[in-house]
Amino acid sequence: MPAAALEVSDVSVRYGKFVAVESVTLSVAAGECVAVIGPNGHGKSSLVTAVAGLVRRGGTVRVFGTELPAGRPGTAVRAGLVLVPERRHLYPALTARDNIMLGSYAHTRRLGAWRAWEDVSDVLDMFPELAKLLDQKAGTLSGGQQQMVALARGMAARPKVLLLDEPCLGLAEAVARRVYDWLALMTATDMTILLVEENPVHAMNVASRAVRIYKGVVEVPAA
Amino acid sequence: MSEFLNLLAAGLTSGGIYGIFGACLAVWFRVCNILNLAVGDFAMFGAIGTAWLVQTAGLPFGVGILVAVVGVGLAAWLFDWAVLHVAFDRGAGAHGIVGVFFYTFGLSLVLEGAARAMFGTDVYGAPDIWKGPALSVAGFHVQRAGVLVIALAIVTGLAGWAYLRFTVSGRAASACGESVIGSRIVGIDSGKFRRRIFIVTAVIAALFGIVESPLSGYTYLSGPTLSLIGVVAAGFASFRRPGRAVAAGLAIGVAEAMLGGYVSTSYDDVLLYAILFCVIIFRPEVLGLGAEPA
Repeated sequence: MPAAALEVSDVSVRYGKFVAVESVTLSVAAGECVAVIGPNGHGKSSLVTAVAGLVRRGGTVRVFGTELPAGRPGTAVRAGLVLVPERRHLYPALTARDNIMLGSYAHTRRLGAWRAWEDVSDVLDMFPELAKLLDQKAGTLSGGQQQMVALARGMAARPKVLLLDEPCLGLAEAVARRVYDWLALMTATDMTILLVEENPVHAMNVASRAVRIYKGVVEVPAA
Repeated sequence: MSEFLNLLAAGLTSGGIYGIFGACLAVWFRVCNILNLAVGDFAMFGAIGTAWLVQTAGLPFGVGILVAVVGVGLAAWLFDWAVLHVAFDRGAGAHGIVGVFFYTFGLSLVLEGAARAMFGTDVYGAPDIWKGPALSVAGFHVQRAGVLVIALAIVTGLAGWAYLRFTVSGRAASACGESVIGSRIVGIDSGKFRRRIFIVTAVIAALFGIVESPLSGYTYLSGPTLSLIGVVAAGFASFRRPGRAVAAGLAIGVAEAMLGGYVSTSYDDVLLYAILFCVIIFRPEVLGLGAEPA
């Protein structure tokens, strides 16, 4: 039996005495899109940030069979596990171009390779309107444009497994629809995706199944 | 004309001092949003340490410089490991204004105390690196150490500017200051950048202290004044642009020298602090006192 693209086993996250995520286990097959749904404040974002290595956690995370150490987001990125975080976390004083290109930091640090990669970027093909915004500082872009930059930065990191945390949070309906169109395109290209979404209707437009998290525990196990 | 040129030389020399500390402050603040209020103390330790090692312990000058600079680098590494790493990478300790000011302010006090215990209260000056009489061209006189000060400031500012503008590493360093989470999710180790640049700027400050101390002489109390003038120069560069910090430092130095030469030397410090007040009133955002820049 082939290894799952993403295996999360018995993952727990604590902030002091507060248990945000407790013994969560789930797996995502290669090419599958799984939604993590549930109310605000019940541990969805804590789960994906822990899976990405950003916060301390218990339990294990494997990407295509390779176990990732906790608290090492760089190792996760190099293994192909890439997070597009809630609220984007761009670099506002840097240009959109620099924001996107820094997505590839884990793979190349030579400026020549950076530029060569930039010239053939598939990321810009996905968001053609970004081309005219590349030299604009990210902090001056609209929320929708910033989300496109964040998604492009995520794709520049060459993900094998993409973690998307509330990609439409705070976006206008029309922009959110475009983001979901792009997500549908990604699922069609066999990208493995774990999607955190508060709205289950939105989530199930692209996901094949959902895992509901309530008070930090999986309420409905993966089918 | 000769008086003007000599004032200009003196102003550029003191401006080089402002500029180099401004550049060191700016490049590190850009990476981690912390003001290094101990940068002047690193210069003081470099200068006094070298002077003591050469004049009292009898080490050759080159060895004295090496030992002092390596010692300063190790002290910077130790502080990062023991304090900044715990506070920022492990999420312990207070952040906000405590993180911006007080960790390095505490380090400054520790270094002052250590210097007093090790070297006493005497005035020290390291031996001249470039020995010889003052250089004179058409009535324009400048100390050789002053030439080195100006040159080191310009080289540091240009190197900082080029690093941030033309390298992937420089952009990654900038990204750390913009968003720690945003940098970590693409594999940038923000702690490593903070540590490396802290050590490099500490070493630059120590080298600068060694070069400059024959001109002014250092005591264990010299550090905070140097750090403060660096804060002023860096403030005029939004605390993020080392090249502009050097230019601002040179301009402040020349303005001070002209004011001192043509009006009164009593106003030197007044000008420095008036400039600082102007930064606070008209550019408060660069001191973190007003609205954040977009």
